[in-house]
Amino acid sequence: MTCAELEILLCDYVDGTLRGAEKSALESHLAGCSACTELAKEVAAATAFIERVAPAEPPAELLTRIFHELPSVRPAAEKRSWWRKLYGGWVGVLQPRYVMGMAMTVLSFSMIAKFAGIDMRQLRPSDLDPVKIWAGIDDRTHRAWDRTVKYYENLRVVIEVQSRLKEWSDQDAGGTAQGPGGSRQAAGSGQKQQAGTNEKKK
Amino acid sequence: MATVAIPAAKWNWVPPYQTARTANSLDADAQLVERCLNGQDAAWEDLVKLHTRRVYSICYRFTNSDAEAQDLTQDVFMRVFKNLKSFRSGEGLFVVWLTRLTRNLLIDHYRRTRLERATESLEDQAKTLEETTAMLARTDGMLAGREASEVLQSALQKLSPELRETVILRDLEELEYREIAQVLNVPEGTVKSRLNRGRAELARVLKRWKVRV
Repeated sequence: MTCAELEILLCDYVDGTLRGAEKSALESHLAGCSACTELAKEVAAATAFIERVAPAEPPAELLTRIFHELPSVRPAAEKRSWWRKLYGGWVGVLQPRYVMGMAMTVLSFSMIAKFAGIDMRQLRPSDLDPVKIWAGIDDRTHRAWDRTVKYYENLRVVIEVQSRLKEWSDQDAGGTAQGPGGSRQAAGSGQKQQAGTNEKKK
Repeated sequence: MATVAIPAAKWNWVPPYQTARTANSLDADAQLVERCLNGQDAAWEDLVKLHTRRVYSICYRFTNSDAEAQDLTQDVFMRVFKNLKSFRSGEGLFVVWLTRLTRNLLIDHYRRTRLERATESLEDQAKTLEETTAMLARTDGMLAGREASEVLQSALQKLSPELRETVILRDLEELEYREIAQVLNVPEGTVKSRLNRGRAELARVLKRWKVRV
């Protein structure tokens, strides 16, 4: 047996699992090789010391840390009871932003329903007919538009602005109808007026 | 014929790793993994509880730092959570798969923190040596239990990473040679050779520190 072969078998020898011819050959080699004898002593000494060593125990909080980090794992002690699950399920929904959102949604639907002419207090299945709803919305839209136009046209300021615009457009229309001759006429009357003044001076 | 002064008790000693992990525990691992893959939270809880000690122990022995060991253990289980689908029970034991994952993470961490270790102050090293010397004087060099554990921690840091991880996996975590070979991805003969060199180096360090072995 060579030193290299002994190095491989030494582990089994120290473990106590080496038997028969291999064990005899190893012991014969050890008897004649001081280097391997020294190695065997050191190996045996180290294993004897390690046997006396207390195991390394993880701190108790490590499990909690790991459970906290793992995405979907929580220890049984932290599992919630049925009432907490029920309550916990609504905790997210009861946040102010969700409550406000829900309130706005209800308000929007109620406004649409009112605008469509649906009376929620006396709602019947026939009221939910799409044709009827569409006809109601169309009718309401036209009515609302007409009412808005009427209101707008009845405003005092609108009437004044419209009448002023009408005057200006009438004036422009009159001036345009007279055309270039009108200008000449105006020029002619100006000449007549100047001649009259000269006669007075004489 | 000259005899080697190896403790006689060693020859009839049955290593605990030959009996520790029975067929039942292996079946339990396989079933747990199956239940985890089926999305059962309780199975994840059991899996973590069952293997935290092993993962923490490997990390602590390798890094010699409780804080780093806790962080690394947490990282290991995060990786297990993400990559458990890649584990196939027919291709090997879960323990081997988990230990390989832990070891790879430790090696990454070792390379990443190389610079920090190089700049570790001599003051810290002197303090550790002083504490060890005081402990040995108090116990007359015959250590056991937690005190032996502390000295072993310091001694393991003197070994190269290859020898250290082999000693940890065999002598502290009690894996079989075949399993260690799978974890380290080296032949079984290499494992045994590293183990002998690691143990011998450890014994020399303890002898220098006047620890009775």
